[in-house]
Amino acid sequence: MGLEQDMLNEPVSKLPLRPLIKADRSMTVRQAIEAMRKAGLGCVVVVDEAGVPIGKFTERILINLLLHDPGALDREIGDVTAGVWKPIRQDEPIVRLVDALEEHDLRFAVVTDVEGKAVALTGQRGVSEYIADYFPRIVATARVGGKPFTDSREGA
Amino acid sequence: MEKRTRHQTDAQPYEDPLSNYDEAEHTDAVERALCEHTVGQLEIKPVVTLPPNASIRQAMQEVQRVDHACVLIVEDGKLKGIFTERDVLDKVADRFDELKDRPVSEVMTADPVAVYESDSPAAALCVIAVSGLRHVPVLDVNDHVVGVVSPKRVTAYLRKQLAS
Repeated sequence: MGLEQDMLNEPVSKLPLRPLIKADRSMTVRQAIEAMRKAGLGCVVVVDEAGVPIGKFTERILINLLLHDPGALDREIGDVTAGVWKPIRQDEPIVRLVDALEEHDLRFAVVTDVEGKAVALTGQRGVSEYIADYFPRIVATARVGGKPFTDSREGA
Repeated sequence: MEKRTRHQTDAQPYEDPLSNYDEAEHTDAVERALCEHTVGQLEIKPVVTLPPNASIRQAMQEVQRVDHACVLIVEDGKLKGIFTERDVLDKVADRFDELKDRPVSEVMTADPVAVYESDSPAAALCVIAVSGLRHVPVLDVNDHVVGVVSPKRVTAYLRKQLAS
């Protein structure tokens, strides 16, 4: 099967999924920053008592707070989470996720189990990594340094 | 001594150096498009640029103003660095009051990996996957900044390919 058919048929659980940072509404912005740094993620998912996602705290929200709220670091993230939310079930096809990311202008999507409990995080980045797996020869020669080829390549 | 002309050499018969090249095979139209189109055909603009001496606060305001997750730091048309939402989280967030008026060059990622506008979208995606960076500047043949490619922009392109 090719990439197109696989995206239409394979479930979201086939994507590179990242562990969630779950928090309740009372986590402070300062604590969220520390948790996001530690996990290398740009998003904290706020869940209710049943583990169902009710909001997200993202790097973008953080920038907005820092620029406009002098006391931002001590605020509770429950007061500032984003309302736009699009959980996606882990058994839905990958193409559904791509549609959801595009339609709702999202960077992240929370992956839920069939009961609606948040189990993982994925998004634009997960889709990119999934696609890159289809091009192993390009991955093998992908540029990782910052120096332009025209500066470093002999004779170019 | 016999004089040799430039056509009289001991060289081996010419052999095509690409004779053993295996052309990439694409299973479907989406794979083909990702390999055969160019980054320049993606939506690589708008791109926001600032000089290295712009303040961190100014860079953050630009990130917020354009609802775009990065600012490219450019001097004389050449890419010097990139400042992203992740730089705010990792380097600025808990010291904002102390750092906000410092130059962005102090916290940007210097000499970031870049792609050329003639590279394929697949190449850009692979750079994103391998480098772990979400935003990759796009350069023209003279190494001038012409845009930036991100997973979001590639996803938008991919969705068009899937729909067609």
